[in-house]
Amino acid sequence: LWTKCKLTRCVICGMQNPGQLKIFSGGILWKKQGGGKAVEVDKADIVGVTWMKVPKTNQLSVQIKDGLYYKFIGFRDQDVTSLTNYFQNTCGLTPAEKQLSVSGRNWGEVDLSGNMLTFLVDSKQAFEVSLADVSQTQLQGKNDVILEFHVDDTTGANEKDSLMEISFHIPNSNTQFVGDESHP
Amino acid sequence: GDNRSAAKGLTDLVAYKNVNDVVPPKGLNQLMIQIDQRNEAVLLPIYGSMIPFHVATIRTVSSQQDTNRNCYIRIMFNVPGTPFSPHDANSLKNLGSIYLKEVSFRSKDPRHISEVVQAIKGLRRQVVSRESLIAEKAT
Repeated sequence: LWTKCKLTRCVICGMQNPGQLKIFSGGILWKKQGGGKAVEVDKADIVGVTWMKVPKTNQLSVQIKDGLYYKFIGFRDQDVTSLTNYFQNTCGLTPAEKQLSVSGRNWGEVDLSGNMLTFLVDSKQAFEVSLADVSQTQLQGKNDVILEFHVDDTTGANEKDSLMEISFHIPNSNTQFVGDESHP
Repeated sequence: GDNRSAAKGLTDLVAYKNVNDVVPPKGLNQLMIQIDQRNEAVLLPIYGSMIPFHVATIRTVSSQQDTNRNCYIRIMFNVPGTPFSPHDANSLKNLGSIYLKEVSFRSKDPRHISEVVQAIKGLRRQVVSRESLIAEKAT
């Protein structure tokens, strides 16, 4: 059983928070260092888990029933192996693997899954944002989509700059989102 | 050696080849805009991660300050259809792509933001002039 507490960082409202993660037979429990926000996920609510190699460490994404995702950062390669076995044996879930794009390009594809918008470059994830944190979306002209984010005044201690707005340009040559009302 | 040819152009510049090469000068856990001069990358804090963009993808950068001492920075990227966009030559290749056009951040530190704006402008100028020299030599 993978029950030991592991120092991880959890992304809440787009900000990294240091804390302790415990994965046990009932599910996942994460507690913020020094008290405060806690994340509790019941095993039965987990619909998918994904690993991604990120600079210097590994990242775990946990998707729950209502489309929400939790993102935990700070796993060694050996944690990935043992946790993968654990998720398979305890939850009957086989973790998926995603790849990160670090090429630094600004063109690619947009993928929507649950509450998550992922920007993909060469079919690898360049970045993701949670639509749960979007306060407003606007269409500018025929080709631009603007997402405005809630900016929390109580930002994480290690966050100096907070994302306020992001916009995507969808050229006429793109047919992916033509007539797609669900597109943000 | 520099194997970048004119035929490749600005849009083919790559910030990092491998995930573990991403080492922002102030560290990965400092969620603030950072510049990696060596890799010509601008790293942006997006959804709790530091996300790199090659400086050649950036078209303009500007900042402003409001009366509450909040500071804002806006970064515009190259997209097709804007004047002098390097993408127009390549638009056939990128047909069907969606472009990240613009990002805005609010910052608590005006001094840091003005340093970031200067650093991005300087690095961008340096890369654009180097690449146009290479293109000139090739023709």
